[in-house]
Amino acid sequence: MSTIRVRKMSGSTEEVQAVSCSIKPPVYLQIGDTRTDAAHSGICVVDVSLPFGKPVSIEEISFKNYYTASVSVRLLRRGPGQEAPAKWCTALRDLSLMNNPHTEGGSQDFYSIHRTQMMEEPDHVVSVRLILRQPSSAWLTFSLEDIKIFPHTEPDPEKEVSDWLSDLTLGDQHPDLEGLPDPQTVSSSIQQMWALTEVMQTNQTTACIGRFDVDGCYDINLLSLT
Amino acid sequence: MADKDKRRPGLAPPSMPEGKATKSDSDREFLSQAGVGELLRGAILKMVEARSDDPIGFLADHFCNLSSMTESGSAGGCDAEPLSNAPLSAGAQEQQHLNRALWHLRLAHHSQRSAFSNNVRVAYDLLNLTGPQRHPGEAPEGPDGSCTESPTGGGGGVRGGLYSQTLECLCSEGGVPASTSAPLLRRLHCQDHEAVPYDIFRHGVLTCAVFSDYIRQAQRLYAEVCCPDNGPASRALCLAVLGTLKEALETSQGCDANCCVNANNSCLEANVKAIRYLKASANISPCKLAQAMSGAQLRGPGGDMDAKEFENAAAELFITRVKVVS
Repeated sequence: MSTIRVRKMSGSTEEVQAVSCSIKPPVYLQIGDTRTDAAHSGICVVDVSLPFGKPVSIEEISFKNYYTASVSVRLLRRGPGQEAPAKWCTALRDLSLMNNPHTEGGSQDFYSIHRTQMMEEPDHVVSVRLILRQPSSAWLTFSLEDIKIFPHTEPDPEKEVSDWLSDLTLGDQHPDLEGLPDPQTVSSSIQQMWALTEVMQTNQTTACIGRFDVDGCYDINLLSLT
Repeated sequence: MADKDKRRPGLAPPSMPEGKATKSDSDREFLSQAGVGELLRGAILKMVEARSDDPIGFLADHFCNLSSMTESGSAGGCDAEPLSNAPLSAGAQEQQHLNRALWHLRLAHHSQRSAFSNNVRVAYDLLNLTGPQRHPGEAPEGPDGSCTESPTGGGGGVRGGLYSQTLECLCSEGGVPASTSAPLLRRLHCQDHEAVPYDIFRHGVLTCAVFSDYIRQAQRLYAEVCCPDNGPASRALCLAVLGTLKEALETSQGCDANCCVNANNSCLEANVKAIRYLKASANISPCKLAQAMSGAQLRGPGGDMDAKEFENAAAELFITRVKVVS
Protein backbone atom coordinates (compact mmCIF):
# COMPACT_ATOMS: atom_id res chain seq x y z
CA MET A 1 0.00 0.00 0.00
CA SER A 2 1.64 3.22 -1.03
CA THR A 3 1.27 6.49 0.76
CA ILE A 4 1.95 10.13 0.26
CA ARG A 5 2.49 12.79 2.87
CA VAL A 6 -0.21 15.38 2.77
CA ARG A 7 0.40 18.80 4.17
CA LYS A 8 -2.91 19.85 5.61
CA MET A 9 -4.34 23.28 6.07
CA SER A 10 -3.53 23.23 9.72
CA GLY A 11 0.09 22.57 8.95
CA SER A 12 0.30 19.08 10.29
CA THR A 13 1.44 16.28 8.05
CA GLU A 14 -0.15 12.90 7.99
CA GLU A 15 0.26 9.79 5.96
CA VAL A 16 -2.66 9.19 3.64
CA GLN A 17 -3.30 5.86 2.06
CA ALA A 18 -4.24 5.61 -1.60
CA VAL A 19 -7.75 4.48 -2.25
CA SER A 20 -7.87 0.97 -3.55
CA CYS A 21 -9.37 1.15 -6.99
CA SER A 22 -9.56 -1.07 -9.99
CA ILE A 23 -7.78 0.17 -13.06
CA LYS A 24 -9.11 -1.25 -16.24
CA PRO A 25 -6.74 -2.07 -19.06
CA PRO A 26 -6.25 0.83 -21.47
CA VAL A 27 -8.54 0.96 -24.46
CA TYR A 28 -6.98 2.31 -27.58
CA LEU A 29 -9.49 4.11 -29.69
CA GLN A 30 -9.44 3.32 -33.35
CA ILE A 31 -11.15 4.61 -36.38
CA GLY A 32 -12.67 2.14 -38.69
CA ASP A 33 -12.61 -1.57 -38.48
CA THR A 34 -10.57 -2.80 -35.53
CA ARG A 35 -9.52 -6.00 -37.17
CA THR A 36 -8.17 -4.70 -40.44
CA ASP A 37 -6.79 -1.38 -39.36
CA ALA A 38 -4.24 -2.05 -36.64
CA ALA A 39 -2.88 1.46 -36.42
CA HIS A 40 -3.61 3.30 -33.24
CA SER A 41 -5.24 6.67 -33.43
CA GLY A 42 -3.12 8.08 -30.69
CA ILE A 43 -5.89 8.23 -28.12
CA CYS A 44 -6.25 5.87 -25.25
CA VAL A 45 -8.79 5.72 -22.48
CA VAL A 46 -8.08 4.37 -19.04
CA ASP A 47 -11.00 3.92 -16.69
CA VAL A 48 -10.39 3.88 -12.97
CA SER A 49 -13.37 2.85 -10.89
CA LEU A 50 -13.48 3.48 -7.22
CA PRO A 51 -14.88 1.05 -4.65
CA PHE A 52 -18.56 0.48 -5.23
CA GLY A 53 -20.90 2.38 -2.97
CA LYS A 54 -18.20 4.59 -1.52
CA PRO A 55 -17.82 7.83 -3.40
CA VAL A 56 -14.51 9.48 -2.74
CA SER A 57 -13.39 13.06 -2.48
CA ILE A 58 -10.12 13.16 -4.33
CA GLU A 59 -7.12 14.97 -2.97
CA GLU A 60 -4.62 13.96 -5.60
CA ILE A 61 -4.06 11.64 -8.55
CA SER A 62 -0.54 10.48 -9.11
CA PHE A 63 0.97 8.36 -11.85
CA LYS A 64 4.08 7.57 -13.80
CA ASN A 65 4.07 8.55 -17.39
CA TYR A 66 4.99 6.22 -20.21
CA TYR A 67 5.27 8.22 -23.40
CA THR A 68 1.89 9.91 -23.09
CA ALA A 69 1.91 13.42 -24.52
CA SER A 70 -1.12 14.81 -22.70
CA VAL A 71 -3.88 13.67 -20.45
CA SER A 72 -7.44 14.76 -19.79
CA VAL A 73 -9.31 13.84 -16.66
CA ARG A 74 -13.05 13.25 -16.54
CA LEU A 75 -14.91 12.48 -13.33
CA LEU A 76 -18.17 10.67 -12.79
CA ARG A 77 -19.71 12.29 -9.79
CA ARG A 78 -22.79 11.21 -7.96
CA GLY A 79 -24.51 13.76 -5.74
CA PRO A 80 -24.79 13.02 -2.03
CA GLY A 81 -28.41 11.83 -2.23
CA GLN A 82 -29.11 8.23 -3.16
CA GLU A 83 -31.42 9.27 -5.96
CA ALA A 84 -29.10 11.76 -7.63
CA PRO A 85 -27.92 10.62 -11.03
CA ALA A 86 -24.25 10.32 -11.73
CA LYS A 87 -22.81 12.88 -14.09
CA TRP A 88 -19.60 13.12 -16.00
CA CYS A 89 -17.60 16.30 -15.93
CA THR A 90 -14.21 17.37 -17.21
CA ALA A 91 -11.81 18.10 -14.39
CA LEU A 92 -8.75 18.71 -16.49
CA ARG A 93 -8.38 19.26 -20.19
CA ASP A 94 -5.18 18.31 -22.03
CA LEU A 95 -2.58 18.58 -19.34
CA SER A 96 0.68 18.39 -21.24
CA LEU A 97 3.06 15.73 -19.98
CA MET A 98 5.67 15.89 -22.69
CA ASN A 99 6.99 19.18 -24.05
CA ASN A 100 7.45 17.69 -27.47
CA PRO A 101 5.53 14.55 -28.24
CA HIS A 102 8.25 13.32 -30.55
CA THR A 103 11.10 13.57 -28.06
CA GLU A 104 11.91 11.93 -24.80
CA GLY A 105 11.34 14.90 -22.49
CA GLY A 106 8.82 14.04 -19.79
CA SER A 107 8.16 10.65 -21.27
CA GLN A 108 8.83 8.70 -18.11
CA ASP A 109 8.32 11.32 -15.42
CA PHE A 110 6.22 11.09 -12.28
CA TYR A 111 3.24 13.39 -12.14
CA SER A 112 0.59 14.25 -9.66
CA ILE A 113 -2.60 16.20 -10.18
CA HIS A 114 -3.90 18.00 -7.13
CA ARG A 115 -7.54 18.86 -6.57
CA THR A 116 -6.72 22.53 -6.77
CA GLN A 117 -5.61 22.06 -10.36
CA MET A 118 -8.97 20.63 -11.33
CA MET A 119 -11.70 22.71 -12.83
CA GLU A 120 -14.42 20.93 -10.90
CA GLU A 121 -14.49 19.92 -7.24
CA PRO A 122 -13.58 16.22 -7.20
CA ASP A 123 -16.06 15.29 -4.49
CA HIS A 124 -18.37 12.25 -4.41
CA VAL A 125 -16.45 10.75 -7.32
CA VAL A 126 -17.50 7.29 -8.39
CA SER A 127 -15.28 6.79 -11.40
CA VAL A 128 -12.35 8.51 -13.07
CA ARG A 129 -11.61 8.41 -16.77
CA LEU A 130 -8.17 9.36 -18.03
CA ILE A 131 -7.93 10.17 -21.71
CA LEU A 132 -4.40 9.86 -22.97
CA ARG A 133 -3.18 11.37 -26.21
CA GLN A 134 0.01 10.75 -28.10
CA PRO A 135 -0.04 12.27 -31.58
CA SER A 136 3.50 11.27 -32.45
CA SER A 137 4.03 8.13 -34.45
CA ALA A 138 7.45 7.69 -32.90
CA TRP A 139 6.11 5.69 -30.04
CA LEU A 140 4.41 2.39 -30.57
CA THR A 141 2.54 2.36 -27.29
CA PHE A 142 1.86 4.82 -24.56
CA SER A 143 0.17 4.61 -21.24
CA LEU A 144 0.21 5.67 -17.61
CA GLU A 145 1.61 3.44 -14.95
CA ASP A 146 1.10 3.19 -11.26
CA ILE A 147 -2.04 5.25 -11.11
CA LYS A 148 -2.98 6.12 -7.56
CA ILE A 149 -5.84 8.14 -6.18
CA PHE A 150 -5.56 9.74 -2.77
CA PRO A 151 -8.63 10.72 -0.82
CA HIS A 152 -9.23 14.09 0.70
CA THR A 153 -9.33 14.09 4.48
CA GLU A 154 -11.00 16.77 6.50
CA PRO A 155 -8.59 18.60 8.76
CA ASP A 156 -9.29 18.18 12.50
CA PRO A 157 -11.38 20.96 13.91
CA GLU A 158 -9.43 23.31 16.09
CA LYS A 159 -9.48 21.98 19.62
CA GLU A 160 -11.18 24.39 21.88
CA VAL A 161 -9.27 25.64 24.82
CA SER A 162 -11.39 25.17 27.91
CA ASP A 163 -12.71 28.23 29.61
CA TRP A 164 -10.95 27.55 32.82
CA LEU A 165 -7.59 27.11 31.09
CA SER A 166 -7.88 30.44 29.35
CA ASP A 167 -8.95 32.00 32.63
CA LEU A 168 -5.67 30.93 34.15
CA THR A 169 -3.65 32.61 31.46
CA LEU A 170 -5.54 35.85 31.96
CA GLY A 171 -4.43 35.91 35.56
CA ASP A 172 -2.44 39.05 35.07
CA GLN A 173 -5.30 41.24 36.11
CA HIS A 174 -4.43 42.49 39.56
CA PRO A 175 -7.55 43.24 41.55
CA ASP A 176 -7.29 45.78 44.28
CA LEU A 177 -5.88 43.97 47.28
CA GLU A 178 -5.95 46.76 49.83
CA GLY A 179 -6.64 45.41 53.28
CA LEU A 180 -7.13 41.88 52.05
CA PRO A 181 -5.18 38.86 53.22
CA ASP A 182 -2.36 37.60 51.03
CA PRO A 183 -3.93 35.41 48.32
CA GLN A 184 -0.87 33.17 48.14
CA THR A 185 -1.06 32.04 51.76
CA VAL A 186 -4.83 31.75 51.70
CA SER A 187 -4.67 29.77 48.48
CA SER A 188 -2.05 27.45 49.91
CA SER A 189 -4.17 26.76 52.99
CA ILE A 190 -7.26 26.13 50.92
CA GLN A 191 -5.32 23.79 48.66
CA GLN A 192 -4.17 21.77 51.64
CA MET A 193 -7.69 21.53 52.99
CA TRP A 194 -8.93 20.46 49.59
CA ALA A 195 -6.23 17.82 49.31
CA LEU A 196 -7.03 16.45 52.77
CA THR A 197 -10.69 16.15 51.89
CA GLU A 198 -9.79 14.37 48.66
CA VAL A 199 -7.60 11.93 50.57
CA MET A 200 -10.51 11.12 52.82
CA GLN A 201 -12.88 10.66 49.91
CA THR A 202 -10.61 8.43 47.86
CA ASN A 203 -10.07 6.16 50.83
CA GLN A 204 -13.72 5.47 51.38
CA THR A 205 -14.62 1.87 51.51
CA THR A 206 -17.71 -0.02 50.43
CA ALA A 207 -17.31 -2.59 53.17
CA CYS A 208 -20.19 -3.17 55.57
CA ILE A 209 -20.26 -3.80 59.26
CA GLY A 210 -20.73 -7.35 60.33
CA ARG A 211 -22.38 -8.92 63.31
CA PHE A 212 -20.81 -11.07 65.94
CA ASP A 213 -21.73 -14.65 65.68
CA VAL A 214 -21.22 -17.35 68.25
CA ASP A 215 -21.85 -20.96 67.32
CA GLY A 216 -24.16 -19.86 64.56
CA CYS A 217 -26.37 -17.62 66.65
CA TYR A 218 -26.23 -14.21 68.32
CA ASP A 219 -24.49 -13.94 71.64
CA ILE A 220 -27.22 -12.85 74.01
CA ASN A 221 -24.90 -10.38 75.71
CA LEU A 222 -24.32 -8.52 72.51
CA LEU A 223 -27.89 -7.94 71.54
CA SER A 224 -28.77 -4.30 71.89
CA LEU A 225 -31.92 -3.55 73.80
CA THR A 226 -32.66 -0.38 71.87
CA MET B 1 21.53 -5.76 64.70
CA ALA B 2 23.70 -8.36 63.16
CA ASP B 3 26.56 -5.94 63.72
CA LYS B 4 26.52 -6.85 67.33
CA ASP B 5 27.21 -10.42 66.45
CA LYS B 6 29.68 -9.54 63.74
CA ARG B 7 31.69 -7.32 66.01
CA ARG B 8 32.37 -10.12 68.40
CA PRO B 9 35.01 -11.94 66.31
CA GLY B 10 36.91 -8.69 66.03
CA LEU B 11 37.18 -8.41 69.77
CA ALA B 12 38.37 -11.97 70.11
CA PRO B 13 41.28 -12.53 67.69
CA PRO B 14 42.24 -16.15 67.08
CA SER B 15 45.50 -15.77 68.97
CA MET B 16 43.72 -15.12 72.29
CA PRO B 17 44.20 -17.68 75.02
CA GLU B 18 41.60 -20.37 75.00
CA GLY B 19 39.82 -19.27 78.13
CA LYS B 20 38.80 -15.92 76.73
CA ALA B 21 37.83 -17.35 73.32
CA THR B 22 35.29 -19.70 74.81
CA LYS B 23 33.84 -16.88 76.87
CA SER B 24 33.21 -14.71 73.81
CA ASP B 25 31.86 -17.73 71.94
CA SER B 26 29.35 -18.44 74.63
CA ASP B 27 28.45 -14.77 74.77
CA ARG B 28 27.75 -14.84 71.07
CA GLU B 29 25.73 -18.01 71.43
CA PHE B 30 23.78 -16.53 74.27
CA LEU B 31 22.90 -13.45 72.26
CA SER B 32 21.81 -15.38 69.21
CA GLN B 33 19.74 -17.76 71.34
CA ALA B 34 18.00 -14.91 73.05
CA GLY B 35 17.20 -13.38 69.66
CA VAL B 36 18.60 -10.06 70.77
CA GLY B 37 19.56 -9.16 67.22
CA GLU B 38 15.98 -9.38 66.04
CA LEU B 39 14.67 -7.52 69.06
CA LEU B 40 16.98 -4.60 68.59
CA ARG B 41 16.51 -4.53 64.87
CA GLY B 42 12.74 -4.37 65.32
CA ALA B 43 13.07 -1.61 67.90
CA ILE B 44 15.29 0.50 65.69
CA LEU B 45 13.03 0.07 62.66
CA LYS B 46 10.03 1.18 64.68
CA MET B 47 11.93 4.15 65.93
CA VAL B 48 12.96 5.21 62.45
CA GLU B 49 9.33 5.00 61.35
CA ALA B 50 7.97 6.97 64.26
CA ARG B 51 10.73 9.57 64.62
CA SER B 52 9.48 10.51 68.02
CA ASP B 53 10.93 13.43 69.96
CA ASP B 54 11.65 11.31 72.97
CA PRO B 55 13.72 8.31 71.86
CA ILE B 56 14.22 6.86 75.34
CA GLY B 57 10.56 7.14 76.24
CA PHE B 58 9.67 5.63 72.90
CA LEU B 59 11.96 2.68 73.38
CA ALA B 60 10.65 2.20 76.92
CA ASP B 61 7.07 2.13 75.65
CA HIS B 62 7.99 -0.18 72.84
CA PHE B 63 9.60 -2.81 75.04
CA CYS B 64 6.78 -2.43 77.56
CA ASN B 65 4.24 -3.24 74.90
CA LEU B 66 6.29 -6.15 73.64
CA SER B 67 6.62 -7.66 77.07
CA SER B 68 2.95 -7.41 77.87
CA MET B 69 2.10 -8.87 74.49
CA THR B 70 4.32 -11.89 74.91
CA GLU B 71 2.95 -12.70 78.37
CA SER B 72 -0.33 -14.23 77.34
CA GLY B 73 -2.44 -11.25 78.20
CA SER B 74 -2.97 -11.95 81.88
CA ALA B 75 -0.39 -10.01 83.89
CA GLY B 76 -0.44 -6.25 83.81
CA GLY B 77 1.63 -4.14 81.41
CA CYS B 78 3.42 -0.94 82.18
CA ASP B 79 0.20 0.97 82.51
CA ALA B 80 -1.19 -1.13 85.35
CA GLU B 81 0.54 -2.18 88.56
CA PRO B 82 3.90 -3.58 87.54
CA LEU B 83 4.06 -5.89 90.50
CA SER B 84 0.53 -7.17 90.37
CA ASN B 85 0.19 -10.69 89.08
CA ALA B 86 -3.55 -10.95 89.34
CA PRO B 87 -5.32 -11.25 85.98
CA LEU B 88 -6.99 -8.01 84.98
CA SER B 89 -10.71 -7.73 84.52
CA ALA B 90 -12.01 -7.83 80.98
CA GLY B 91 -12.72 -4.13 81.04
CA ALA B 92 -9.29 -3.13 82.25
CA GLN B 93 -7.68 -5.47 79.76
CA GLU B 94 -9.68 -3.88 77.01
CA GLN B 95 -8.57 -0.43 78.11
CA GLN B 96 -5.00 -1.63 78.03
CA HIS B 97 -5.41 -2.92 74.50
CA LEU B 98 -7.00 0.37 73.51
CA ASN B 99 -4.11 2.36 74.93
CA ARG B 100 -1.61 0.22 73.17
CA ALA B 101 -3.53 0.44 69.90
CA LEU B 102 -3.64 4.22 70.20
CA TRP B 103 0.08 4.27 70.87
CA HIS B 104 0.64 2.40 67.62
CA LEU B 105 -1.66 4.69 65.70
CA ARG B 106 0.24 7.70 66.93
CA LEU B 107 3.54 6.47 65.56
CA ALA B 108 3.26 7.54 61.96
CA HIS B 109 1.49 10.43 60.27
CA HIS B 110 -1.23 9.43 57.82
CA SER B 111 0.80 10.86 54.96
CA GLN B 112 3.42 8.15 55.48
CA ARG B 113 1.23 5.65 53.72
CA SER B 114 2.94 2.32 54.27
CA ALA B 115 4.02 3.01 57.84
CA PHE B 116 0.56 4.26 58.71
CA SER B 117 -1.10 1.22 57.14
CA ASN B 118 1.18 -1.13 59.04
CA ASN B 119 0.37 0.58 62.30
CA VAL B 120 -3.35 0.45 61.59
CA ARG B 121 -3.01 -3.26 60.93
CA VAL B 122 -1.21 -3.80 64.23
CA ALA B 123 -3.77 -1.73 66.12
CA TYR B 124 -6.62 -3.63 64.49
CA ASP B 125 -5.13 -6.97 65.42
CA LEU B 126 -4.67 -5.79 68.99
CA LEU B 127 -8.26 -4.70 69.32
CA ASN B 128 -9.49 -7.74 67.48
CA LEU B 129 -8.27 -9.95 70.30
CA THR B 130 -10.79 -8.61 72.70
CA GLY B 131 -13.81 -9.57 70.63
CA PRO B 132 -15.83 -12.63 71.56
CA GLN B 133 -14.30 -15.81 70.26
CA ARG B 134 -15.42 -16.98 66.88
CA HIS B 135 -15.99 -20.48 65.81
CA PRO B 136 -12.86 -21.21 63.77
CA GLY B 137 -13.60 -21.65 60.12
CA GLU B 138 -17.08 -20.20 60.24
CA ALA B 139 -18.06 -17.66 57.65
CA PRO B 140 -18.54 -14.11 58.92
CA GLU B 141 -22.00 -12.67 59.28
CA GLY B 142 -21.30 -9.54 57.32
CA PRO B 143 -21.94 -9.44 53.57
CA ASP B 144 -18.35 -8.58 52.78
CA GLY B 145 -15.49 -10.99 52.96
CA SER B 146 -13.01 -8.83 54.80
CA CYS B 147 -13.88 -10.32 58.16
CA THR B 148 -12.07 -13.49 57.21
CA GLU B 149 -8.77 -11.65 57.30
CA SER B 150 -8.02 -12.63 60.88
CA PRO B 151 -6.60 -16.14 60.81
CA THR B 152 -5.24 -15.86 64.31
CA GLY B 153 -6.65 -13.99 67.25
CA GLY B 154 -10.12 -14.15 68.53
CA GLY B 155 -12.76 -11.87 67.14
CA GLY B 156 -14.06 -11.60 63.60
CA GLY B 157 -13.94 -7.85 63.92
CA VAL B 158 -13.38 -5.11 66.38
CA ARG B 159 -16.24 -4.50 68.77
CA GLY B 160 -18.23 -1.48 67.69
CA GLY B 161 -17.94 0.24 71.05
CA LEU B 162 -14.19 -0.15 71.14
CA TYR B 163 -13.91 1.17 67.61
CA SER B 164 -15.96 4.24 68.42
CA GLN B 165 -13.84 4.86 71.49
CA THR B 166 -10.69 4.66 69.39
CA LEU B 167 -12.02 7.27 67.01
CA GLU B 168 -13.00 9.60 69.85
CA CYS B 169 -9.55 9.38 71.38
CA LEU B 170 -7.90 10.02 68.02
CA CYS B 171 -9.97 13.15 67.44
CA SER B 172 -9.35 14.60 70.87
CA GLU B 173 -5.65 13.83 70.75
CA GLY B 174 -5.53 15.53 67.38
CA GLY B 175 -6.67 18.74 68.99
CA VAL B 176 -10.21 18.76 67.64
CA PRO B 177 -12.76 20.12 70.13
CA ALA B 178 -15.48 17.64 71.00
CA SER B 179 -18.26 19.79 69.58
CA THR B 180 -16.55 19.97 66.21
CA SER B 181 -15.82 16.27 65.98
CA ALA B 182 -19.24 15.16 67.21
CA PRO B 183 -20.98 15.27 63.79
CA LEU B 184 -18.08 13.37 62.25
CA LEU B 185 -18.17 10.69 64.90
CA ARG B 186 -21.89 10.32 64.47
CA ARG B 187 -21.25 9.36 60.86
CA LEU B 188 -18.46 6.96 61.60
CA HIS B 189 -19.40 5.26 64.83
CA CYS B 190 -20.67 1.73 65.26
CA GLN B 191 -22.97 0.12 67.78
CA ASP B 192 -21.49 -2.10 70.41
CA HIS B 193 -23.01 -5.26 69.00
CA GLU B 194 -21.59 -4.63 65.56
CA ALA B 195 -18.35 -6.16 64.32
CA VAL B 196 -16.09 -3.74 62.52
CA PRO B 197 -14.06 -5.24 59.67
CA TYR B 198 -10.58 -4.06 58.84
CA ASP B 199 -11.55 -1.84 55.91
CA ILE B 200 -13.99 0.18 57.95
CA PHE B 201 -11.58 0.39 60.86
CA ARG B 202 -8.86 1.69 58.59
CA HIS B 203 -11.14 4.18 56.91
CA GLY B 204 -12.42 5.48 60.25
CA VAL B 205 -8.95 5.89 61.68
CA LEU B 206 -7.65 7.58 58.54
CA THR B 207 -10.63 9.92 58.41
CA CYS B 208 -10.09 11.03 62.00
CA ALA B 209 -6.39 11.57 61.42
CA VAL B 210 -7.08 13.57 58.27
CA PHE B 211 -9.84 15.50 60.01
CA SER B 212 -7.49 16.63 62.79
CA ASP B 213 -5.10 17.98 60.18
CA TYR B 214 -7.98 19.59 58.35
CA ILE B 215 -9.26 21.40 61.43
CA ARG B 216 -5.78 22.62 62.31
CA GLN B 217 -5.45 23.95 58.80
CA ALA B 218 -8.85 25.62 59.05
CA GLN B 219 -7.76 27.36 62.23
CA ARG B 220 -4.63 28.56 60.50
CA LEU B 221 -6.72 29.76 57.58
CA TYR B 222 -8.94 31.79 59.87
CA ALA B 223 -5.87 33.46 61.33
CA GLU B 224 -4.69 34.29 57.81
CA VAL B 225 -8.05 35.72 56.81
CA CYS B 226 -8.01 37.90 59.92
CA CYS B 227 -4.50 38.96 59.20
CA PRO B 228 -4.57 42.49 57.86
CA ASP B 229 -6.65 43.83 60.78
CA ASN B 230 -6.41 42.14 64.11
CA GLY B 231 -10.04 41.71 64.94
CA PRO B 232 -12.41 38.98 63.85
CA ALA B 233 -12.58 38.40 60.12
CA SER B 234 -15.32 39.87 57.99
CA ARG B 235 -18.17 37.48 57.31
CA ALA B 236 -18.16 38.22 53.60
CA LEU B 237 -14.50 37.34 53.29
CA CYS B 238 -14.86 34.11 55.24
CA LEU B 239 -17.82 33.02 53.19
CA ALA B 240 -16.03 33.85 49.94
CA VAL B 241 -12.96 31.87 50.93
CA LEU B 242 -14.94 28.85 52.07
CA GLY B 243 -17.04 29.20 48.94
CA THR B 244 -14.01 28.65 46.73
CA LEU B 245 -13.15 25.52 48.68
CA LYS B 246 -16.69 24.26 48.31
CA GLU B 247 -16.63 24.87 44.58
CA ALA B 248 -13.34 23.05 44.19
CA LEU B 249 -14.65 20.07 46.11
CA GLU B 250 -17.81 19.96 44.04
CA THR B 251 -15.86 20.17 40.79
CA SER B 252 -13.41 17.46 41.60
CA GLN B 253 -16.08 15.06 42.69
CA GLY B 254 -18.34 15.92 39.76
CA CYS B 255 -20.00 12.62 39.02
CA ASP B 256 -18.46 10.75 41.91
CA ALA B 257 -21.07 8.06 41.74
CA ASN B 258 -19.00 6.43 39.02
CA CYS B 259 -16.59 4.73 41.35
CA CYS B 260 -16.62 1.55 39.35
CA VAL B 261 -14.22 1.62 36.43
CA ASN B 262 -15.43 0.25 33.14
CA ALA B 263 -12.61 -1.85 31.80
CA ASN B 264 -12.95 -0.44 28.31
CA ASN B 265 -13.02 3.13 29.43
CA SER B 266 -10.51 3.10 32.22
CA CYS B 267 -8.18 5.30 30.24
CA LEU B 268 -11.00 7.70 29.47
CA GLU B 269 -12.06 7.68 33.13
CA ALA B 270 -8.56 8.55 34.21
CA ASN B 271 -8.47 11.42 31.72
CA VAL B 272 -11.82 12.75 32.83
CA LYS B 273 -10.76 12.54 36.45
CA ALA B 274 -7.51 14.30 35.76
CA ILE B 275 -9.30 17.11 33.95
CA ARG B 276 -11.72 17.49 36.85
CA TYR B 277 -8.84 17.75 39.30
CA LEU B 278 -7.12 20.36 37.15
CA LYS B 279 -10.33 22.33 36.88
CA ALA B 280 -10.90 22.18 40.61
CA SER B 281 -7.38 23.31 41.39
CA ALA B 282 -7.74 26.18 38.91
CA ASN B 283 -10.60 27.40 41.09
CA ILE B 284 -8.37 27.77 44.10
CA SER B 285 -5.37 29.35 42.46
CA PRO B 286 -4.12 32.57 44.09
CA CYS B 287 -5.52 34.86 41.42
CA LYS B 288 -8.96 33.26 41.62
CA LEU B 289 -8.91 33.71 45.35
CA ALA B 290 -7.81 37.31 45.01
CA GLN B 291 -10.76 37.90 42.71
CA ALA B 292 -13.15 36.16 45.10
CA MET B 293 -11.88 38.12 48.06
CA SER B 294 -11.98 41.52 46.42
CA GLY B 295 -15.44 40.72 45.07
CA ALA B 296 -16.60 39.75 48.55
CA GLN B 297 -15.41 42.96 50.02
CA LEU B 298 -17.61 44.91 47.66
CA ARG B 299 -20.71 42.78 47.59
CA GLY B 300 -20.76 40.50 50.61
CA PRO B 301 -22.96 40.56 53.71
CA GLY B 302 -21.79 42.71 56.56
CA GLY B 303 -20.70 41.72 60.01
CA ASP B 304 -17.98 39.48 61.35
CA MET B 305 -17.48 35.79 61.74
CA ASP B 306 -15.74 34.44 64.80
CA ALA B 307 -13.26 31.60 64.88
CA LYS B 308 -15.69 29.00 66.17
CA GLU B 309 -18.25 29.62 63.47
CA PHE B 310 -15.57 29.51 60.78
CA GLU B 311 -14.25 26.26 62.12
CA ASN B 312 -17.71 24.74 62.17
CA ALA B 313 -18.43 25.88 58.62
CA ALA B 314 -15.16 24.41 57.39
CA ALA B 315 -15.78 21.19 59.31
CA GLU B 316 -19.19 20.92 57.73
CA LEU B 317 -17.66 20.98 54.23
CA PHE B 318 -15.54 18.01 55.21
CA ILE B 319 -18.11 16.07 57.19
CA THR B 320 -20.85 16.18 54.57
CA ARG B 321 -18.51 14.25 52.32
CA VAL B 322 -17.89 11.47 54.81
CA LYS B 323 -19.93 8.40 54.03
CA VAL B 324 -22.05 7.15 56.87
CA VAL B 325 -20.83 3.79 58.08
CA SER B 326 -23.46 1.10 57.92
